[in-house]
Amino acid sequence: MTSTSIESLVATPYKYGFVTDIETEKFSKGLSEEVIRKISAIKEEPDFLLQFRLKAYQHWLTMTEPNWASLGYPAIDYQDLIYYAAPKQSSKKSSLDEVDPKLLETFDKLGIPLNEQKRLSNVAVDAVFDSVSIATTFKEKLSEHGVIFCSISEAVREHPDLIEKYLGSVVPINDNFFATLNSAVFSDGSFVLIPKGVQCPMELSTYFRINSGDTGQFERTLIIAEEGSSVSYLEGCTAPMFDTNQLHAAVVELVALDEASIKYSTVQNWYAGDANGVGGIYNFVTKRGHCRGRRSRISWTQVETGSAITWKYPSCVLQGADSVGEFYSVALTNHRQQADTGTKMIHVGPRTRSTIVSKGISAGSSANTYRGLVQIGPKAKGARNFSQCDSMLIGDQAAANTHPYIRSQQPDADVEHEASTCRISEEQLFYLQSRGIGVEEAVSMMVSGFCRDVFNQLPMEFAAEADKLLALKLEGSVG
Amino acid sequence: MPTLSPLPSRPSALAGTSWIQALLQACPASLATLEAPQLKDRLAARLALESTSLPGKREEAWRFTDLSLLTQIPPRPLEPALGSTQTQASPAPHSWRLPLDAWPEIGETTWPEGIEPLHGPELEAQLGRVLAATETTNHWSVLLNSAIAQPVVALRIRPGVRTCLEVVSDSEQRSGVQAHRLLLVLEEGACLDLLQVHQAGGPSLCSVVVEAQLGPHSTLRHGQVTHGPNHGVLLAMTAVNQAPGSCYTLTSVCSGWGLARQEPVILQSEGQATSQLRGLHWVKDHQISDTHSRVRFTGPEGQLDQVHKVVAEAEGRSVFNGCIQVPREAQRTKAAQLSRSLLLSDRARIDTKPELEIVADDVRCTHGATISRLQQNELFYLQSRGIAAPQAARLLLRGFCEEIVSQLPSASQSWSPLSSLLQAEARP
Amino acid sequence: MIRPDAPILLEIRDLHAQIEDQPILHGVNLTIRAGEIHALMGRNGSGKSTLSKILAGHPAYGVTAGTVLFEGEDLLSLSPEERARKGLFLGFQYPVEIPGVSNLEFLRVATNARRQHLGEEELDTFSFEDLVRDRLQVVQMDASFLDRSVNEGFSGGEKKRNEILQMALLTPEVAILDETDSGLDIDALRIVAGGVCQLAGPNNATLLITHYQRLLDAITPDFVHVMAAGRILRTGGKELALELEARGYDWVDEELARLQPATPVEMS
Repeated sequence: MTSTSIESLVATPYKYGFVTDIETEKFSKGLSEEVIRKISAIKEEPDFLLQFRLKAYQHWLTMTEPNWASLGYPAIDYQDLIYYAAPKQSSKKSSLDEVDPKLLETFDKLGIPLNEQKRLSNVAVDAVFDSVSIATTFKEKLSEHGVIFCSISEAVREHPDLIEKYLGSVVPINDNFFATLNSAVFSDGSFVLIPKGVQCPMELSTYFRINSGDTGQFERTLIIAEEGSSVSYLEGCTAPMFDTNQLHAAVVELVALDEASIKYSTVQNWYAGDANGVGGIYNFVTKRGHCRGRRSRISWTQVETGSAITWKYPSCVLQGADSVGEFYSVALTNHRQQADTGTKMIHVGPRTRSTIVSKGISAGSSANTYRGLVQIGPKAKGARNFSQCDSMLIGDQAAANTHPYIRSQQPDADVEHEASTCRISEEQLFYLQSRGIGVEEAVSMMVSGFCRDVFNQLPMEFAAEADKLLALKLEGSVG
Repeated sequence: MPTLSPLPSRPSALAGTSWIQALLQACPASLATLEAPQLKDRLAARLALESTSLPGKREEAWRFTDLSLLTQIPPRPLEPALGSTQTQASPAPHSWRLPLDAWPEIGETTWPEGIEPLHGPELEAQLGRVLAATETTNHWSVLLNSAIAQPVVALRIRPGVRTCLEVVSDSEQRSGVQAHRLLLVLEEGACLDLLQVHQAGGPSLCSVVVEAQLGPHSTLRHGQVTHGPNHGVLLAMTAVNQAPGSCYTLTSVCSGWGLARQEPVILQSEGQATSQLRGLHWVKDHQISDTHSRVRFTGPEGQLDQVHKVVAEAEGRSVFNGCIQVPREAQRTKAAQLSRSLLLSDRARIDTKPELEIVADDVRCTHGATISRLQQNELFYLQSRGIAAPQAARLLLRGFCEEIVSQLPSASQSWSPLSSLLQAEARP
Repeated sequence: MIRPDAPILLEIRDLHAQIEDQPILHGVNLTIRAGEIHALMGRNGSGKSTLSKILAGHPAYGVTAGTVLFEGEDLLSLSPEERARKGLFLGFQYPVEIPGVSNLEFLRVATNARRQHLGEEELDTFSFEDLVRDRLQVVQMDASFLDRSVNEGFSGGEKKRNEILQMALLTPEVAILDETDSGLDIDALRIVAGGVCQLAGPNNATLLITHYQRLLDAITPDFVHVMAAGRILRTGGKELALELEARGYDWVDEELARLQPATPVEMS
């Protein structure tokens, strides 16, 4: 088995590339203060939020796009994007029966039925289509437990005090180029509040769908876990196949108070472009969790298989004493995909602990970069970090880069980092074949074995999905 | 990464520029001892430097290295030595010492068998060749050295050399700037022990550039022992180009220096060579030690084994940036990098940043990094055998250092590197 | 058990093969019938392991001439997995470690691939666990082996027992065991040999590749073949192995010299 035939195995049929034909209300292209005021007006936002947006916009104008990542792409013309697109319907419907059946059908086709009867009974979904949330399931059942799960637009109307208190408190307005842009123009996203002492009774999930070809998606997610509460949240994403690139610049903020726990999982399968690198999503995402309270815990798990470009570093600021941050990541790139992803673990408080497990798989002519920062501050006495980042290369045209940056200012702390690079050896492949296992299944078994430490972290329902997604990516033409 | 904690203030661009200009004025553009190719290099570097300032935090490679200390050093050549450097221990047997401070007189000396100075067209062909191959000609620290280097020692090494070449400078308490350049061309099958010793005691800059071309199946065992004062700066670039079958080992032991910047750059141009890098850096007070290493394989079946160790105490800061590049043509490369740091004070700081860039699938690359204090279980084990805590700590530190120091060429023993390191040891 | 009328399971005719342009096999002939146990002996480099890898379909070796029939069908045109599914089993001399892939999962997928070929029902996780627990007894293995990654961190003896466990699950028609005895202590050897004997029956055959008599003390072969310089030099009964044990392999050189008086010539 030569590496070229392994390569041919990673040809990826993209099953979610269809476009929903639906009448859409769109702004004209371009970004200006006027556009921002219009977004704010459509959403009937309070003044503080408009000011938040304008302040971000003013700051954004002074910023330049970062170029330190190992990514190459033509300059993005920010005036050539549409900043708001929504399927035409008078307003968000209170009942699913009123939602345009085309939209329901779209999500059905994506395997995310919004009809509660069809859904797994223990998963609530917020479905975001282009710039707006179209439905949120199980809201009533959740509210019985005091859990707030709704679109962020709705939260702005219903719970402005919470938004004002927490929005931008983890990722400040001026954090970085893409986050600042998001702060100015974000259109929708999810909002979660788990009240004190409540273990959220079901998995929460948001499904993001980009449908328009020339629209940027700027969603904003805010999850707050109050004292002693816990929640597991999953995000999924797909987009149709266009031969142009769409910008996705999201911001996710997590806040965990004393002894609260948030588990945030992502299965990202945006359209990755074709084999020659034409089209695909530019995914520039800022995700950060703030372990504000003592013994709080934030865990990021991501399975990144899509997007032409991924620029994403889900991070934890470990401020509360004894708080815990975790990052488990699988990033699979193929063809001409580029991923620059990793995490930052900022240890501020005493005895804070973090774990990083990153598995990068590069095939085709893709480039897969792990970039991480572990910072142990002077007050983080007794802090511990363990990082492991492994790369698997398939074919001799793919690149795997590893940049694990460590800074420590605290002698009473342990930081340990391990990394390795491997490939699927011919001998391993032959061994499995000689036991009657076909090449495709053998490669898929080994890739999924390589990723096992990460898949084990996904909620049960989604671990199988992720495994399937990876197998799908490895589905090919040999045989 | 978007957010990093603020760094200490930098010298203003003006201060940096004027310091360089003053230095260039104080150092002659031409020297009688220079041959034409050396002179050409020197003039080109001076031209390039005249318009530049000191590298600042905006340059990734210098992000953590505060060069402001440099501008406090008198921008002129080192004062001449008052007498010969008597304080040095005599060389070990089989060691041949080249005191760089006493240059050019030493140029008259007879060289040991198998070591010959390069002249004329040969010198022209070789000088700067490795720097160009490793893309370091225009590194700021190389330009600075090229512009003022004195002496420039260029040697051919033939097979069968039995002595250890000991290259030594000691600026004692003198102030100013000294810059040394050493070029070694190892012929096929040649084998050499090279020991570099640089010591300083006054407000001075020691700039040293070593270029080595390793012919097929040649071996260079290279040791560097450097020690300087809190107001001293070391800028050391080591550029090596290895032919197939060659073996290069670099062991660097560095202590003191307000700022020590070391840049080993290795190129295995056709792979199939062996490189071993060992570093031990001890920082205390407000010292900064910065190692930026880069190993690039542009052929198959190369091997690298790298271990970088740091002891940081008081307000010392250590930076390690270890880059390994394995492009497509470097199949079957085996590379291992390990960074082990001991952080002994809560005011010290350690930054490590391994960088692996791999575009070949049939390779084995591993790297690891640890930062911690002395292992409590090891300390406890020694204490449980009746050894008092401070002594147990000393024993462990000695062991930590010994692993690197023991790899220096044996000629280094006359400089007792381990005991001079441990004199500076932490008192818990 | 020799039965001249038993069906032929494996027939190797004049097999020539090479690796990276280096010829290794120079005309191997071997016929194996159901119920038989064959031992293939010879020094290192004689071509024994090469033969076993070619039969299993290792991609690094190229067959330059000759044929191999497995139950009357051309074996060489099949992929390694097809050979396995049809009932050819190679017990590796050095079983490969596959980090991350669980042993249990691996065994289940392999077993189901074979069962599917045999037209048997595929086993779900639970019924497979029952089966595997039963088969574990053949090699006296602890169930904790199932939770580990394939061969990863296994001792030499554990790896070989894992090979025999796979054989017990896949129930091959022809099992080729490549130096399954090497690196085993006396207890492990006894367990492995016991497993092999237990699995040998009238409808399958075993080809043992070994250096030493000690495995053959535990498993009595019907035929012993001595391999040298890429061909089978001599074939006999179990007494041939005893003779080898007593005389060593030096006579092989003499015989080879007799066969190839001048320069080594390809036997056609």
